[in-house]
Amino acid sequence: MELTLPLFRRAVQSLDGDGLSVQGLVTSLNTDTPWQLALPAQGVFGFTGPSGGGKSTLLAALAGLRGCTGKIGFGNVTWQSGKSGLATHRRDLSLGFQDSSLFGGQTVADNLALAHRYSRRPLSPEERAELIECFGITPLLRQPVELLSGGEAQRVAVLRQLFSNAAVQLYDEPLAAVDRLQVIRKLLPRLRDFWARHPALVIWTSHDFDEIQLLATQCLWMERGALTGPLPLREVTRRLQLDSLERESCFSRLEARVLCQEEGLLTLSLGDATLYADRVAGRYRAGQSIAFLLGSGDIGLCLEQPGLSSILNCLPVELREIVPLEGGRVRLRLAAGEQEFSADISRLSRERLQLREGERYYAQFKASSLAGL
Amino acid sequence: MNPVNIGAADLEALWLTLRLAAVTTLLLLAIGVPLAWKLSHWQSRWRHGVEVLITLPLVLPPTVLGFYLLLLFSPNHASGQWLAALWGEPLVFSFTGLVIASVIYSLPFMVQPLLASFSQNGKRLTRAAAALGMPPHAALLKVLLPASRPAIVSACALTFAHTLGEFGVVLMIGGAIPGETQVVSIALFQHVEALEYGAAHRLALVLLVVTTALLLLARWLGRAVSATSREERFMGVPG
Repeated sequence: MELTLPLFRRAVQSLDGDGLSVQGLVTSLNTDTPWQLALPAQGVFGFTGPSGGGKSTLLAALAGLRGCTGKIGFGNVTWQSGKSGLATHRRDLSLGFQDSSLFGGQTVADNLALAHRYSRRPLSPEERAELIECFGITPLLRQPVELLSGGEAQRVAVLRQLFSNAAVQLYDEPLAAVDRLQVIRKLLPRLRDFWARHPALVIWTSHDFDEIQLLATQCLWMERGALTGPLPLREVTRRLQLDSLERESCFSRLEARVLCQEEGLLTLSLGDATLYADRVAGRYRAGQSIAFLLGSGDIGLCLEQPGLSSILNCLPVELREIVPLEGGRVRLRLAAGEQEFSADISRLSRERLQLREGERYYAQFKASSLAGL
Repeated sequence: MNPVNIGAADLEALWLTLRLAAVTTLLLLAIGVPLAWKLSHWQSRWRHGVEVLITLPLVLPPTVLGFYLLLLFSPNHASGQWLAALWGEPLVFSFTGLVIASVIYSLPFMVQPLLASFSQNGKRLTRAAAALGMPPHAALLKVLLPASRPAIVSACALTFAHTLGEFGVVLMIGGAIPGETQVVSIALFQHVEALEYGAAHRLALVLLVVTTALLLLARWLGRAVSATSREERFMGVPG
């Protein structure tokens, strides 16, 4: 569908300012604990914490959509000072709501066209077409938004926000209803790529730690109205585990360096080992450091270095910890150099291999199990 | 010559009524949309007072409204003289006077459905529009109005139908000047008084058919979008 519209550009704020600064922000939710926050003008930050803690309230207050007092500034523009604030549409930001809030009575294409029309940094037609295709929206373009499923509506809402391409992008559990595998394998890598090309300050709220660790290296934490952060992801994992073991992610984040990329097969180096990833959608350059996710169910363990196998990846690891899970399985905490990850195997395998904490083994996984590239 | 054999005077009354209803509906649409938009955003204790004022014509006997308008328009009073000077002719017993009266009389039928729709969706949609950088007027025109289409269609249909059936107010300030203020309901009443039941039957039937058709049309317009798309979906269009 054609989305060409008359462009009208508004003053574009320079992105290399001081970033976002929040001082003594008070809403009806946090009368005792004023919020302080300092974030750079560019970068992706996760945002998590128990439900009802005030995450949505903070985002609405940043956007000027709920009553608050305090000081909010972005770059050299004051968004809020005391009780009076700049009108929402004058702040160089976008906010996506939990309920998608698509514009009713219009088609998906209309919704996207409106966001594009009022964007301060409109995307090129090629990029728009490519994003629509990647988000799987092409067959939905002519549909009235009332007929979309929850997951479809969320994908449209995120895309609409990307089209708006604001300097500060606030997302409130934007992909909670979208199929997990689609999110991790397709959408999140595409989002990371988008923000690499269009730098912005992104706050990504989610209860899904996989989403956060694939997008961000730091995370804000909100609990019972108290805001902390940005924290390193390791600290957030610890807090989530305190919450309950089930919440522990079944994906682990690993970082590696790109060696080369040929026809969808990506060769990476992790410590001394070489890793391979196939079905890679993004484009990477040699020497670049990238993060990916490894599903804990995709990993097998060997006692000795295996010979040639169609399973391309074999990583020497140290077994740090064995945690029993429900349903006859155990979770192994493995370490490859500095980096830790989890592998789930059956209790039977553990007995047969006589696995012991502190011993060294070989972790094997297929080239197709490196997610998020 | 005409299938239901309606007299020339009755045809004129019919045409006048349709004109009155159309002008009233258009004027009320222009007044009603900004009024409902302002009201839905207005956080003041005066809001309830204004809402009561707008709802008043719904419950007030039309003759009461007509009586006060008659006094207001009357050339015997300063107000009427001033209005006549402003407009260039006396408003009482004139088409313009009827339009003003109809606008006041049908105001709740336009504003209430709009207000209900704006209050329900308005806040959510305006916030979402602002959060994508859209200024308030764009949020109203490009987001809220398209989302409120069913409410707008039904408000227009109700206003139009309500104006068609106007009697008491017209009787008080319009009288029955053919071609100027004699609307169908007045003509019908006059036929009955003159015991011309045949003519009365014909006019009544025309009004019945027109109003029924109007309501059906409004329902169809309000549902057209979703119904066709739902059909497409069941027919297996990808999505």
